Amino acid sequence: MGAFWTIAVKDATEIWRDGRFRWAAGLLLILIIAAVAGGVHNQSQIARQHADAQQAERDVWLDKGDMNPHAAAHYGAFVFKPVQPLSAIDPGLDPFVGVFVFLEAHKQQLARHRPIEDATPTRRLGQLTPASAALVLLPLLVVSLTFSSVAAERDQGTLRPLLAMGVSRASLLAGKALGAMLPLAAVILPASAVGAAIVFWNAPADPDAPIGVRAFGMAVVYLAHAVIWIAIGITVSARARSQGAALVVLLALWFANAFMAPPLAMAAAKWFDPSPSALEFAASIQDEKDTWPTWDQRVDGVMERFLEGEFESTMAPSNVEVVALLESEADETALYDRRFAELFDLYAKQARTFERAAIVAPTLAARSLSMAFAGTDEAHDRQFADAAGRYRSAMLTTLNSELAASGRVNTFDYVRGRDLWEQVPPFDYDVPFARWALAERWLSAAVLALWLVAAAVAAAWSVATMRVE
Amino acid sequence: MMHPRAGYGGLVAFLARHEWRVLSSSAITRVVLVVFAMVLLIAGLLGAARTLRERETVRTFEQRAVQQRLQTTAIRADVAANERGWLALLPPSALAALAVGQGDVYPNYIKVTARSLDAMVSGDQIEHPQAVASGAFDVAFVILFLYPLLIFAISFDLTASERDRGTLRMVLSQPVTLGQVVAGKMIVRALILAVPVVAIPIAVAATASPLDAQFVLRGVTWTMAVLVYGFVWHGLALVVNARGLSAPANALVLAGLWLLLSVVGPSFVNLAIAVQYPMPSRVQAAVEARNATQEATVQGSQQLGQFLQDHPTSANVGRDGMRQFAMLQASRDQRVADRLQAVEASFDAQLRRQRQLASWLSLLSPTMVAQVALLDIAGASTYRFDHFREAVSVFQRDWRSFFEPRVLDAATLTPAEYAAAPTWHYQPELPVFMINRVMLRVVALAALAAVLWWVGFKRYEGYQL
Repeated sequence: MGAFWTIAVKDATEIWRDGRFRWAAGLLLILIIAAVAGGVHNQSQIARQHADAQQAERDVWLDKGDMNPHAAAHYGAFVFKPVQPLSAIDPGLDPFVGVFVFLEAHKQQLARHRPIEDATPTRRLGQLTPASAALVLLPLLVVSLTFSSVAAERDQGTLRPLLAMGVSRASLLAGKALGAMLPLAAVILPASAVGAAIVFWNAPADPDAPIGVRAFGMAVVYLAHAVIWIAIGITVSARARSQGAALVVLLALWFANAFMAPPLAMAAAKWFDPSPSALEFAASIQDEKDTWPTWDQRVDGVMERFLEGEFESTMAPSNVEVVALLESEADETALYDRRFAELFDLYAKQARTFERAAIVAPTLAARSLSMAFAGTDEAHDRQFADAAGRYRSAMLTTLNSELAASGRVNTFDYVRGRDLWEQVPPFDYDVPFARWALAERWLSAAVLALWLVAAAVAAAWSVATMRVE
Repeated sequence: MMHPRAGYGGLVAFLARHEWRVLSSSAITRVVLVVFAMVLLIAGLLGAARTLRERETVRTFEQRAVQQRLQTTAIRADVAANERGWLALLPPSALAALAVGQGDVYPNYIKVTARSLDAMVSGDQIEHPQAVASGAFDVAFVILFLYPLLIFAISFDLTASERDRGTLRMVLSQPVTLGQVVAGKMIVRALILAVPVVAIPIAVAATASPLDAQFVLRGVTWTMAVLVYGFVWHGLALVVNARGLSAPANALVLAGLWLLLSVVGPSFVNLAIAVQYPMPSRVQAAVEARNATQEATVQGSQQLGQFLQDHPTSANVGRDGMRQFAMLQASRDQRVADRLQAVEASFDAQLRRQRQLASWLSLLSPTMVAQVALLDIAGASTYRFDHFREAVSVFQRDWRSFFEPRVLDAATLTPAEYAAAPTWHYQPELPVFMINRVMLRVVALAALAAVLWWVGFKRYEGYQL
């Protein structure tokens, strides 16, 4: 056994014997387990509601009786956002995005009814989740374990004798790092075991949902983040004037990372890429629609083209209105697709700025990655929105082409029934694989890895060059 | 060195002046003050810029609507009433620069129509979900989270180091009591942060708002709420200091208290609310609404279809046909709206009850109490948007009673008639209602602060030198 092992065991034992540590660690453990239990409870409840609602909606769609296919398009369909199993660990942005979309003719909407709208205002202060425990509370425990690691030896005058005994600075660093990790493991291991058991017990509603790799990715992110904080803690402890100074600096860094960085990063993101207000967004769509020909003008236009022989000779004059309807529907879909794509592109740019800000605040990178692996970030929301948009246009195509074949749009005596409604398949959304999520957030992964290396180098350098007295 | 006839107040003032000299020359106080002032200024300026932009947008759209109405020659009543409708806009409140609050969740406009279905329509407020999740970097955030920490940063060593060095004993050999010394220290510490925390935000907010009665009343209430919130944390610091631990131990205890009351407490309470009092499900409500309105929707569509079948194109049915069509459509809308309303009313009642239950739990942390009060005072709370909706629904009734007969008559409006249609003017809620809502919370915070200060001074009587 090297000297580092002796140092590690001594540090770990000292920490373990400290009643304050046991209190803090016990409290954190309880909080994490409560967060996992609460998260799983909420997640499974919401997942069941959404699955039930999707089934009920399908029944309503099939049983709506006979009607004109275009009336059926107006009748529309609800699509509910499937809830990801790992949202129990990190609900991420789920409470802040809409839970269902209404798909109908002529109009495309963003997902509506964000849970945050119904919550009490105090909900804005944040909710305890396993992810927030791992990314906010755990680093604080790390700070309390590491601020004194080197500084206390120096303050007490034991650092010089230690080095004089021939202990290399490398083994000192390794010993100190391991000495902090061992007590930490007393929290992390039981928390992960109990957490995994609770998640496993509540098997996900969708058994095909790929959660293994994603869960592994989250665990790696949390561990890497904790190790980064250990390295930061030792760096500051080695360089600080005293234990007290080390504690103040580390607490300030922790506060900046956990509380100041997220709103500041988003403020910067909005500064560089301002998003429109809801009013401006709605008005810009309406303004563009206002420049389009009116319905009568559109029908006249198609009639002219029909008379000029633009269409197949099999088309009857009565098809003119159907063609006008299909064309206007296509224009509308294109307009909404473009506007929503612009908005989501803007969101993606803002998210990229948020990721870049992680260069000064590693917790941001860990947050982005955690949400990405849980499937609860803005990129996954966009995937769902795109799938809903594709489903809408497929649904409209099925219904409208039926009209085109019948050649009767304005006469409502053309009605169809269940056989046509069944041709519209049920909405089925598969969440992308973990590697897609990682590719979307490659920047965060790179920044987190960079922080891991940089913090380790900084710790080594600080211990190698530190004052001994 | 001291005036022999100075009374208690004079002595405390003298000690406070002395403490001010000591404190203002310490590096930590300077850092704290500079950081605090800078952060308040940045948050305030971001808020002022946002408020000015919002005010400008609202003005632009108001003028646009008026312009559009003036330029209209003749217009069909149903187009004017429904398709075009009228935008009811919510201008930013007097203290909007200080808090975003729920403003990034609820939209500040509602499109009003004369129909009974879709009478008031608005899209969601557009904001990156990450921005909503992180919360805005606004003055309210700085006050709720950073202010207590900085109070602790300058108060964790009230007397501990002086006691350990023995200088406190020397001071007390003068004709002063420990209570007076501590009072002097507390007053200076309270003032040193109270001045920037009050002055900077109000000064910045004044640049983004007309200085009317709303601004003054809300500004005064805001100041009171912020001060009592600060006094609570000062009081906590006093109580902890009075226990006679060392300065580092005080710092640790205070940091733990902050963590518990501002971070862990609220987030745990929110978890408990989510598990124990979950808000009713919008998803279920949507399915219920669908079921409740299905029959009316399908039946209505069939009647309308029947009408169109009898009258192949709307052009040749004449005005009577159009009237009949409008009547059928209105009665279909009404039937659907009635069914919908029953579902929505029961959902809203359930939502209100859950919020009520949940709001009791929020009394457990001063941060949560202050957050609710500050958002309300700044006009960034749910109440403001509820009031807006209510005011708009009153306007919608006017709008409807003006247009409905004309729509049913299939009329075409002349410019003069169209100009006579009602227009929306936002009347802000009287501040007295806001004061009524927040007063209990402010008084509760003040009482808590008073108890903490009293306990702190009481405990200092037994302070071991």
